[in-house]
Amino acid sequence: MAIVLNTLLIILTAIAIPGLINRTRAVLAGRKGVPFVQHLRNVKVLLSKGTVYSTTTTALFKIAPAIYLGAAIVAALMIPVADLYPLISFKGDVICFAYTLALARVIIIMAAMDTGSSFEGMGAAREALYGALIEPALMIGFATLALFCGYTSFADIFEYEQSFDLHLTIVMLLTAFLFLKIAFVESGRVPVDDPRTHLELTMIHEVMCLDYSGIDMGMIHIAGWLKTACFSMIAANAVAATGCFHWWFAVPFAVLLTGLSVGIVESTQARNKLSRNTTFIVTISALAALIFFIGYLLKLNINI
Amino acid sequence: MFYISLLLALTLLVATLFLAPLRWKMWVATSATALVAIAASIPAISVLSGDSEMEIMRITSPFFGAETLHMDSLSALFVLIICIAGIATMLYSRGYLEHYLDKKSSAHISLHYTALVVLVASMILVVVSSGGFSFLFAWELMTIASFLLILFDAQRQQVLRAALAYLIMMHIGFVLLVAGFAGIYSACGSGNFANLAMCFSEGNTLPIFILFLLGFGMKAGLFPMHVWLPEAHPAAPSHVSAIMSGVMIKTGVYGIIRTLWYVVEPQELHTIGLIILAMGIVTGLWGVILAAVQNDAKRLLAYSSIENIGVIFIGLGISTLAHAAGNSTVATIALCGALLHTINHSFFKSLLFFGAGNIYSKMHTTLLDRFGGVAKHMPITAILFFIATVAICALPPLNGFVGEFLIYLGMLDSIREGANTIYAAAGLLALSLIGGIVVLAFTKLYSTIFLGSPRDHHVAESTEVDNLRIAAMAIPTVCIILIGLFPQFAINIIESVAEQFHPQASSILEGYVTPNLWKISLTVWMLILVITLLYVVKSRAMKKRTISQGPTWGCGFTATNIRMQYTGESFSEGLESIATSLTQNTIEGRAVGKSEIFPSSHGYNIRHKDKIDRLFAAWWMELLHIINKRIMRLRTGKINNYILFALLFLIAIFILSLFNLI
Repeated sequence: MAIVLNTLLIILTAIAIPGLINRTRAVLAGRKGVPFVQHLRNVKVLLSKGTVYSTTTTALFKIAPAIYLGAAIVAALMIPVADLYPLISFKGDVICFAYTLALARVIIIMAAMDTGSSFEGMGAAREALYGALIEPALMIGFATLALFCGYTSFADIFEYEQSFDLHLTIVMLLTAFLFLKIAFVESGRVPVDDPRTHLELTMIHEVMCLDYSGIDMGMIHIAGWLKTACFSMIAANAVAATGCFHWWFAVPFAVLLTGLSVGIVESTQARNKLSRNTTFIVTISALAALIFFIGYLLKLNINI
Repeated sequence: MFYISLLLALTLLVATLFLAPLRWKMWVATSATALVAIAASIPAISVLSGDSEMEIMRITSPFFGAETLHMDSLSALFVLIICIAGIATMLYSRGYLEHYLDKKSSAHISLHYTALVVLVASMILVVVSSGGFSFLFAWELMTIASFLLILFDAQRQQVLRAALAYLIMMHIGFVLLVAGFAGIYSACGSGNFANLAMCFSEGNTLPIFILFLLGFGMKAGLFPMHVWLPEAHPAAPSHVSAIMSGVMIKTGVYGIIRTLWYVVEPQELHTIGLIILAMGIVTGLWGVILAAVQNDAKRLLAYSSIENIGVIFIGLGISTLAHAAGNSTVATIALCGALLHTINHSFFKSLLFFGAGNIYSKMHTTLLDRFGGVAKHMPITAILFFIATVAICALPPLNGFVGEFLIYLGMLDSIREGANTIYAAAGLLALSLIGGIVVLAFTKLYSTIFLGSPRDHHVAESTEVDNLRIAAMAIPTVCIILIGLFPQFAINIIESVAEQFHPQASSILEGYVTPNLWKISLTVWMLILVITLLYVVKSRAMKKRTISQGPTWGCGFTATNIRMQYTGESFSEGLESIATSLTQNTIEGRAVGKSEIFPSSHGYNIRHKDKIDRLFAAWWMELLHIINKRIMRLRTGKINNYILFALLFLIAIFILSLFNLI
């Protein structure tokens, strides 16, 4: 029962976040904006359409969206909602989660390169580099959780229930911040990437899917939502674990946290110059290492 | 007696191979290898399936005392991967050498096959020898056989240079090993590995261990002794690269694991663990960054082998550190991870080199930017290469993931238990960065060769390779898929090895690792199921809809051409801009300047060389050359001069002994 609820809540989060981002942006810009469920309607239209394939592409291009979405679905099935229980859970599933998402990245990079387009190659090259640089942040983030909670699977980490502990709270809040940052990078949002830019030269994620249309494009969109939901749910779980909150806290918190922060950042900030992105992402990894070190010192009970 | 029978067998082999008709040589060599492989794998399988270690033969050797050939589970594991890679290489070689059969003399081909069989046999001897003289003998035989194999295309200048560099470096390593064994011999009166225990207990652990680490590290390609790999692999024929990179460099790993076995004192284990971990981290990162910036498929693969050795050493280092801290769970898991990664790498790396051989034999180049769209002309090679690529990127659902998962799990467990936290975190950081950059390197390799539009007209003329080569490539592919889908059974193979190291290993594996691997297997199956389901649903939905074909979307630009496509160089440009301090770039020609509005034709060629290479072009090399030239004056070629030298030598000995100096 808990597993079914967990899965449904993840799907709900995945659907709600893009809607809230759009609404936040509309309100901040003073526009009337699109309705909350517009992105669902868009994908519905895409899923019912035919498609165009480039003559340059091979079979890999046609299978890639299925692998991309499949990997995102399996990764999402590993994420618990607060103290609920996910479908897939074992010791070390944090590693499996990271590498399943890496599979998604590899296949979409290859699909982009398959078209032989210079623009898509550009996006693929950037995605490969940024993905490589964000990986250490992700793993060290998991290591911090493992260090502090003593477990190596999401379900056990976030089930950690105790009375209020200041050290735990500090580390968990910092980790939540880290995962929010990773969510920004992984889902291709400002300041790393701007999904709404009109210039292909400056895109990263969007430019890789230029040659996809119809049902394939729909699948890629859904996978993107799931990926964002995974990272925001991890961040929300970390916060929920500090006060032993349950799923009724984690779901709205995940949606609000990512929806509002992405919406606000996209309305108020410009995206980075591309050459700054590497620094930005390496800084996140450095931040992760710093958080790990703080966690280590707190664990040793050193007064700082 | 042993050496005499060995020589007899060798003579017989050479005679049969040289006498066999040209097209039959490969089958003679294959059957010889198959004989060796069957003879070696029967005891290996029985040892792995539960028998205790097995003594095959007792030999008396001229130096270092009596030795035995014996098979324990560690040897058995390596024997198995040597046999599998050996057979695959033999089958592959026929198709690859077909093209050379008319060009090279019959003796040349015979020599090549002899060396190939000797290489396989000597690798097996290396891992079953108990140490001392027979070990060094087999080790040297292995070096010479592989030297001859690299030398296949000897009329090319760079092949000659690479082979000589290899020979020289291997002999520096050999001297270090001889010194190591002499160390054991002087301490214990026999050069067997088993005596290391006694030798280490007397307190001089570190110096002897470091001698062995450097000697074996030279073969394994540990930083900074890796420079021979990226030179030798592009020079050697592909099947030779496959067996050298897949299994021969693993004999170095074998040697280090074997030596590590006998270190017991926790304080020393801790120091050694740190050294191994640090070397692993540096080797892995150096290898992967250099791999990502290469523009030659075989150089890229060679650097990736260095990186994988780094990953194996990270696992070994974590295991040793945990062993020192008395944490046998982490020690077992990390050791299993390192061993499994050793096996896995032998499969996917040989598959990758076979794939590179396929494209080389059709297009006669391995420069990445000459390819593009090969998948359309060589679909089977493309699929097999794709499998190897996914496996080497350590992605589920294939075998690479399982090995790295265990190493990661060891590190996370080490962190969560609060032992060696900082070291484990350093390993974790390095391994995750390596994992990320491997993705960059291999998406670059795969996409520039197999995907996109052809950059050269040779691509359009290429066709799929012969079935025998595909069959040879199927052997590692099957292993890759089986280990990936059923890791819970694959772990049984290394259980007895882990048990040899840690007595509680089998209970740890059964209680902790195997249940987890079951879950991984289920996850992997679920991944495959979900993907298949999505694809089937999509294909069904598409049946009723219009699917149109068109050119790639040029973003409004209508005159796109192939030359605008992203090349391998441009793909890794972002990483290069970060890692400039690691590489030394040689540039030929001139890039198009920003102020040139109507650029004329430009030639631009950039190569990224290893900074470590500079060590071998430094002043001391010049000095060696000069000294060498002076000494060469003694070589007059006149017999009377040589007799004079002998006389002078005798007189010198006589005078020295008069003064009791010797």
